[in-house]
Amino acid sequence: MSNPDDSGTSRDDLLKRIELMEAMIAEGRGFTTHNAWIFVLWGVVDLVAWSWQNLIHTQFARVWAWPICLIAGAVLTFAGKALQAKPKGVPSSVACGRVMAVWLMMGIAMAIYVASAMITHFTWQYSYIAALLMMVGMAHAISAVILRWRVQGVVAAIWWAGGAAVFFLNSWRATSDIMLAEMCLGMIAFGVYAMMLEHRRGGHWTNKTA
Amino acid sequence: MTDFDTTNPPRRDDLVQRIELMEAMIAEGRCTTMRYGWIFLMWGLLYYAAIGWQMYLPAGKFAWPVLMVLGVVIIQIWRWRALRSGRNHESPRSRSIGAVWGTVGCAFFLYMGAAAASHHIQSPAVNATVMFFLGLAHAISAVILRWRVQGAVAAIWFAGGMAMFFAPYPASLIIFLVASFFGMVLFGLYTMMLERQRAASLVQHHA
Repeated sequence: MSNPDDSGTSRDDLLKRIELMEAMIAEGRGFTTHNAWIFVLWGVVDLVAWSWQNLIHTQFARVWAWPICLIAGAVLTFAGKALQAKPKGVPSSVACGRVMAVWLMMGIAMAIYVASAMITHFTWQYSYIAALLMMVGMAHAISAVILRWRVQGVVAAIWWAGGAAVFFLNSWRATSDIMLAEMCLGMIAFGVYAMMLEHRRGGHWTNKTA
Repeated sequence: MTDFDTTNPPRRDDLVQRIELMEAMIAEGRCTTMRYGWIFLMWGLLYYAAIGWQMYLPAGKFAWPVLMVLGVVIIQIWRWRALRSGRNHESPRSRSIGAVWGTVGCAFFLYMGAAAASHHIQSPAVNATVMFFLGLAHAISAVILRWRVQGAVAAIWFAGGMAMFFAPYPASLIIFLVASFFGMVLFGLYTMMLERQRAASLVQHHA
């Protein structure tokens, strides 16, 4: 039944391992789609902050639009997670843990980075905006490689392209347009797509449909 | 195997097997980091070499591009040789760690390339970003591998990144040198030491 090779691993062991890896990848994708509302939420939060700052020309809006919206976004994320129903099928924490580690650490790094830049008034630099786009793209890219998910890889490429474009276009108007496009494509559209997948799965994390 | 639900709860044996597998994968992931420990040391030394070249040698503007590309070439040659000799074993966790560092490397080169090409390189935000990128990679690895030492290294890079914003611009070089020493050189030496110990214990085990 089992044919150990030179390294002592039998065919059955290898098959089991492949099955486990596939299951973990499916679980990881399920975890992402289950939490896709967070992408949509942050896309909307960013859009509200952007609109508030750009369309209402007051000193208060210029200074406080982003801090208030970002804090509101964080509060809504925690509240949403607390209220969110547990999915059917208890996931193994391996793949989900890895994807969660990526997003959690990205969130912490972004929070420290943004807070430091805001306190020291460096948010006007193009390199700051480009770094934000690159960091979000990085999280998408790592997640895409771990989950072998091409759609998320494309989203990562969109974020990175936006980050590079901020440097080269070198204007606030263009930067603002890029931010707007990233929020719509990289956050809201991807979030809605992932939510659609979640709806199709019917909340089961381990169905290999995507 | 993974589709547990409330009507069909997992057996104790399944859970034990699963925990054992997770522990084995964490150990494998750490081993991968230890095997690649020399890369941390190499990058730390390359940073020092680039700064030294830029400050004291002619054609200083080529220091960073040349040495960074050299670092990538060395790693690719090493990986290619490892692949040929069949030493490149991959587990899900080591693949994840590879994904983290590979992606951060790509983002790093893209960001720095774009910043340099568009003449935005000399800004506190760029310096801070570099340190946050490295801290982020260490932090994700640390959580995946449940490795406190690497978590401390991530904290050093994040603290350095924050300091870049708050400290005056001339101090940024010192902050970077200190963070590189602790976060690259020392951590690289530490992982190499662990790898040596592991190799020695394996030899003893087989003897």
